Amino acid sequence: MMVNNVYSITKKEILDNIRNKWIIILTIIFTVLTLLASYAGSVTSSGWQDLSSTINSMILLVQYLISIIALILGYSAIIGEIEIGSMNSLLALPTTRNEILLGKFFGLGTVLSISIFIGFGLAGIIIGLNVGKVNYGEYLFFIAASILMGLVFLSIGFFISTLFNKRSTAMGAAIFTWVFFAIIWLFIIAALVIVSNPSIMDVNASQPPQSINIETPEIFYISEFFNPISSYSELVNLNVGNIDTVSYEDMISGPPDYINSVNMFISMCVWLFSFQFLAFWRFNKKDI
Amino acid sequence: MSTKTIRCPQCKNKVTVQGNPGEKTNIVCPNCKAKGVFTFPAPIPEKDKTNYTDAIEVIDLSKSFNGFTAVNKVTFSVHKGEIFGFLGPNGAGKTTTIKSILDLIHSDSGTIKINGINIHENKKDAKKNVGYLPERVAFYDNLTALQNMYFYAEMKNALKSECKKLLEDMGLSDVINKRVGKFSKGMVQRLGMAQAMIGSPPILILDEPSSGLDPRGSVLIRNKIKQLQKNGATIFLSSHILSEVQEICDRVAIINKGDIVAKDSVSNLRQKLNLKPKLTLELEEMTDKIKKVVHEIPGIVSVQIINKIINITCNSRTKSKVIIAIEKAGGNIINLHTSDPSLEQVFMKFTE
Repeated sequence: MMVNNVYSITKKEILDNIRNKWIIILTIIFTVLTLLASYAGSVTSSGWQDLSSTINSMILLVQYLISIIALILGYSAIIGEIEIGSMNSLLALPTTRNEILLGKFFGLGTVLSISIFIGFGLAGIIIGLNVGKVNYGEYLFFIAASILMGLVFLSIGFFISTLFNKRSTAMGAAIFTWVFFAIIWLFIIAALVIVSNPSIMDVNASQPPQSINIETPEIFYISEFFNPISSYSELVNLNVGNIDTVSYEDMISGPPDYINSVNMFISMCVWLFSFQFLAFWRFNKKDI
Repeated sequence: MSTKTIRCPQCKNKVTVQGNPGEKTNIVCPNCKAKGVFTFPAPIPEKDKTNYTDAIEVIDLSKSFNGFTAVNKVTFSVHKGEIFGFLGPNGAGKTTTIKSILDLIHSDSGTIKINGINIHENKKDAKKNVGYLPERVAFYDNLTALQNMYFYAEMKNALKSECKKLLEDMGLSDVINKRVGKFSKGMVQRLGMAQAMIGSPPILILDEPSSGLDPRGSVLIRNKIKQLQKNGATIFLSSHILSEVQEICDRVAIINKGDIVAKDSVSNLRQKLNLKPKLTLELEEMTDKIKKVVHEIPGIVSVQIINKIINITCNSRTKSKVIIAIEKAGGNIINLHTSDPSLEQVFMKFTE
């Protein structure tokens, strides 16, 4: 593995994305959304909220937005270059496919990370200047977790990019992937929870959920490892105080021991590296 | 440990020395006492022990796509320092072969060597010898011509300082800081050629180098290819412009339906096909006598007479006889044109 080649490709990707204004656009999106979420995100109070409350307002939006943006960046990374023809010249150079893939991943990962960091960071500073109660540690953790989720979906996007022979098909697959993890997954889990614990339906129909003590099915907790959005959401929930997201935890007894920050972090890393590995494997087999 | 016998440069006395390859040994002539240092020859690298005269060797290359055989046991070699034309109709397997040489696609079987290095065993070292201009040239549209060139120079571990000179050579000096996305097709093609030449690779694989170029651009590329050959480079050229191939290529290979159907110099291929030169004569006046005489000349393959113009296909030696016969028959030749069989004719014959 030649570090120089990876570095050159990373640098080129960053330069390319600076010139096509992706970094600027993403940064503005993240800043504006964070400020909006902080200023107008609460139904119970008006004006600026502290950072914990801002995270609370943003978490749902962020997990859907970053995942789709990362998939958009990732799905065309390889197939896009193959389709326009520049991959031919790139692969004819004294480099390997792994170096190309890694360089492109680092480049686009840097673009995404910088956009999230500056976008959220800038908004965090503005919010911090307007409210008294500020916990920058939690906010930095939230930014780091968001970057990690972005990289996971970028990795999935890269695999999709190596999997198909047409950019349009890869785009369709990327959209479906997002719909699956962001929407369909919720229905699947809801169905599994209900099926595995039929009393929930009866209880919900007659009484407010907080007044009862029901056993959450094991499958709900296990499922969090199988969706990077759920892992991210749980990771933030466990580490950022005052979070009041719409989740099942509020109506159930405490989660099992294996639902902890370390396991959620490992889960996301497994997602990241396994799809990166799959992308390497697939790209090395691919005819250009 | 090896033993060498050398002669003393002063007294010519024979001196025997022992040492390892690459080792320096101090020696004193026992006769004249002259002192000197002898260096044992360095070991010859394994790959250089064979005298590689071929820049590219393709042996029994096969590749199928979903049951369709794109190339079938293709074998040919490109000698060092030559311009080699690679021809074939659309879908014959040209691009598959070129992409296999560069390992862009994975061949089903066969061996490919670039300067003696097996591409499947040592991709990076093999590719260090190659500059490639793909059929469909594309660059990073958001970057300028110079930024694109710098990127490729970095990847090839070449000097960035040569990029400007290469762009100037390809007539792009005015647009080095312009985004490639705003380039015309011809400009992108020239940039592709400049990119292929970065690092002065000993082998250039050029797939349709004149594609999308105006006549001036085509001449520029053609002259560049000739110049590169003079400087010692080997050129592997795929082109549909047969006149261009005929003009600059030392040898050609023709591929048809995945098989190599011919490989030789253009003149040798003409001879193999027994293709004859063509003679076109325009006369001041056409008479029946001339028509009769022309048909009776020995060595004539075919005669076609249209008004005052006679098209004759014949042996090279017969051409002068035709002219003499027509003049003897009272004909007055006002225009004469001879043409050797073109590569196009050769190509058409082999790809029928």
